[in-house]
Amino acid sequence: MSDPNDNTNLLEGLGERSQSYWQKAWMRFKRHPFARWASLVLIILYTLALFADFVGPYPEAKSFRKLQFVPPTKVYFKTEDGRWTRPYVCKVERTRNPRTFKLEFKENCEEKYTVYFVVHGHPYKFLGLVPMDLHLMGGPWLVEEKAYLFLWGTDDFGRDLFSRIWFGGRISLTIGILATIVALIIGITMGGISGYYAGTRVHIVRGLFRPPQKRATEAGEAGAREQNGFFSGGALAEGWREAARERRAPAFLAGLAVQYAFWGAAAAVLYGTMQGFLSITSGVERYVAMLVFGGLLAVMLWIFLFGRLAVDVDDLIMRTTEILAAIPTLFLLIILSGMLAQYDMPSSTRFMLVLTILAFVGWGGLARNIRGFVLQLREMEYAQAARALGAGDARILFRHIIPGTLGYLIVVASLQIPGYILAESGLSFLGLGIQEPSSSWGLLLSKAQQIGISAIKERPWLFIPGFFIFVSILTYNYLGDALRDALDPRAEH
Amino acid sequence: MTAYIIRRFLHLIPTFLGATFLAFLVIQLAPGDFITRLELDPSYDRAQIENFRRLFGLDQPFTVQYAKWLSGFLKGYLGLSLSYQTDVWQVLKPRILNSMVLVISSIVFVYVVSIPIGIYSALRQYSWGDRFWTTFAFFGLAVPNFFFALLMLYFALWLKDTFGHEIFPIGGMRSLYVDGVDFFEAPKWRQWLDVMWHAVLPVIVAGTAGTAGLMRVMRTQMLETKMQDYVRTARAKGLSERVVIYKHILRNAVIPIIASIGFLLPELFGGAGFVEVVMAWPGLTPLILDAIFSIDVYIIMGSISISVVLLMIGNLLSDLLLAWVDPRIRYS
Repeated sequence: MSDPNDNTNLLEGLGERSQSYWQKAWMRFKRHPFARWASLVLIILYTLALFADFVGPYPEAKSFRKLQFVPPTKVYFKTEDGRWTRPYVCKVERTRNPRTFKLEFKENCEEKYTVYFVVHGHPYKFLGLVPMDLHLMGGPWLVEEKAYLFLWGTDDFGRDLFSRIWFGGRISLTIGILATIVALIIGITMGGISGYYAGTRVHIVRGLFRPPQKRATEAGEAGAREQNGFFSGGALAEGWREAARERRAPAFLAGLAVQYAFWGAAAAVLYGTMQGFLSITSGVERYVAMLVFGGLLAVMLWIFLFGRLAVDVDDLIMRTTEILAAIPTLFLLIILSGMLAQYDMPSSTRFMLVLTILAFVGWGGLARNIRGFVLQLREMEYAQAARALGAGDARILFRHIIPGTLGYLIVVASLQIPGYILAESGLSFLGLGIQEPSSSWGLLLSKAQQIGISAIKERPWLFIPGFFIFVSILTYNYLGDALRDALDPRAEH
Repeated sequence: MTAYIIRRFLHLIPTFLGATFLAFLVIQLAPGDFITRLELDPSYDRAQIENFRRLFGLDQPFTVQYAKWLSGFLKGYLGLSLSYQTDVWQVLKPRILNSMVLVISSIVFVYVVSIPIGIYSALRQYSWGDRFWTTFAFFGLAVPNFFFALLMLYFALWLKDTFGHEIFPIGGMRSLYVDGVDFFEAPKWRQWLDVMWHAVLPVIVAGTAGTAGLMRVMRTQMLETKMQDYVRTARAKGLSERVVIYKHILRNAVIPIIASIGFLLPELFGGAGFVEVVMAWPGLTPLILDAIFSIDVYIIMGSISISVVLLMIGNLLSDLLLAWVDPRIRYS
């Protein structure tokens, strides 16, 4: 774009400010009806989760053994005679119903406990570093446990749900972002390699000797006799000659070592499997197995001696993603986390584990889409120009091609995050994700189900975490929708 | 077309092998195996435990176990369940049927609800009705299945308390008694009716996300088809609006929707899974969850492999439908 001041004689475009792609996208984003609201709600949620220690009156693990499933504490704004006053609460006392023997909680309003704002309370370390004891709500009575402030009731351990929701928000809201980042890293790498090297074949193993079938086909060819030796006619020698010509013999030898090691290991595993299998099998199955295993080993040996095996990396990666997609996602998620949930581990390790599992299950779809983009973009003039200037593969891929997919990546990320929030809450809900004493929204919601179907109606406050999952997914979906509209280059208007 | 079908079929073999091998590998990640639990039990002695291990092939390396399982699978034998002490297929069969009832009803629900709404939204774009359904779609996509299922249970309990009897059943798949007769002795149609009555709420829960998604796709499809040249031609010919909409637009717009049935399956499997857990529907997912904690290898492998096969068949059908409809796909 030329500067409009230089060509004042050209009237067209005068007075119009030229805008970059990102400026236009930002304009379109702001025009989306819900984008602003969604962003605002998300910012509020993240802020409250960040300041969970301050917002919640109680520490995360503080439990009152005798106060299980206490209904939300009523906050009064009026005295008995109807005058407005500072908000206060009454003490909750546990009683047993003399007729049904059920535990009941009754309010005892003889003494009123005023709720103060921004007040000293239980000590904590803000972000694990700064020692503080300021809380949004509370009072001296709260620390001395004369009365309780359970705004949204308590759970099965007598822990304050209101406080735990904000602590749980830390995990539920960050795990989606982190898992998306990890999945994007894997997806971009795999999809990039897959798309960039599509059509290039990589050798798995190179045969040692000249294949017998070559003799027949090349019998009439004139130049065939040059490399006609028993050894020099093999795929190995052919590769060596090529490597020597291109002066990359050391890399070739290193690759060769890996290839043969892999081939040897594969054969050893196959042989071991055959032995074990035959030792526990009898009858027809045994003979069929002998045929199958023997055939496989023979083919492997033949390829090692006379043939060659080269595969397309693109094919390999795409088949892997197909395998991942072939198992229903929920089942893959639950067997993976179910098997690993049986180990004891600290909560930070478990957080990392859940994150890794989510990323592992989800990278396939990303890789497929990114591959599609890379396949298109690698043929663009600027990619070819970079190659002509002598840039390496990695540089072309990550500096020239991947940035071209940025708009798509942003949209995908904003739609992947709610998916992961949902998956994490689902896993935790089933007891396979985040575990006690940590909290996450899914885990908190699972309390509503654990106590049995008939009790659901008596403890509706346990549903509150579900609304938080719902709202965060809803707002992320709106945000993703707005971003898609904004970043779509076809949406020129 | 034949060549395409054969190619697609051959493609399934490595995918199936890879997926089942992956599942088997994942099961190996667990600490110990099923027999490890018995070792803590003093009523079993060493020799017995070794015997168990040999019986279930657990003393072999896992590649051998996989090969053995695979050869059994090819013969139609899924192995022995360790915790149920019986043939895996006996345990799986009723569970799969139950899950299929839910999944198939959900598919019907999704299509029956989403296609008319999609058509309506596209024909009355930006009307209040369209806006309502757009909002509904966003809500439907955002509500977690398990949370929705809990809300539905709450709703069913509320109905029961309000009206004094169960308008909708509270969880489960069948009543103990139908018309005063034991469920299994009641006539077949009464049994089915009872199961369907129990399925109403679970199907609504399992199908909502799919409905919301498909509704939007249908709307977009209709809007895109509306812009096509042949639609303008049809109008220019003087065809009535009715014919244009239902014959020219709808038929073309609905093709990819029908063909996408296979891609809807994994989503419904997952959605139905949570519903089964929360609403006590005796399907596949609760079985897998139980099997995971007892490391009942063959139950897990059986469930996974059968769901993989079902999923692959669904995808294959979808692809074939698409290829049948759209000749460009066949030859690529």
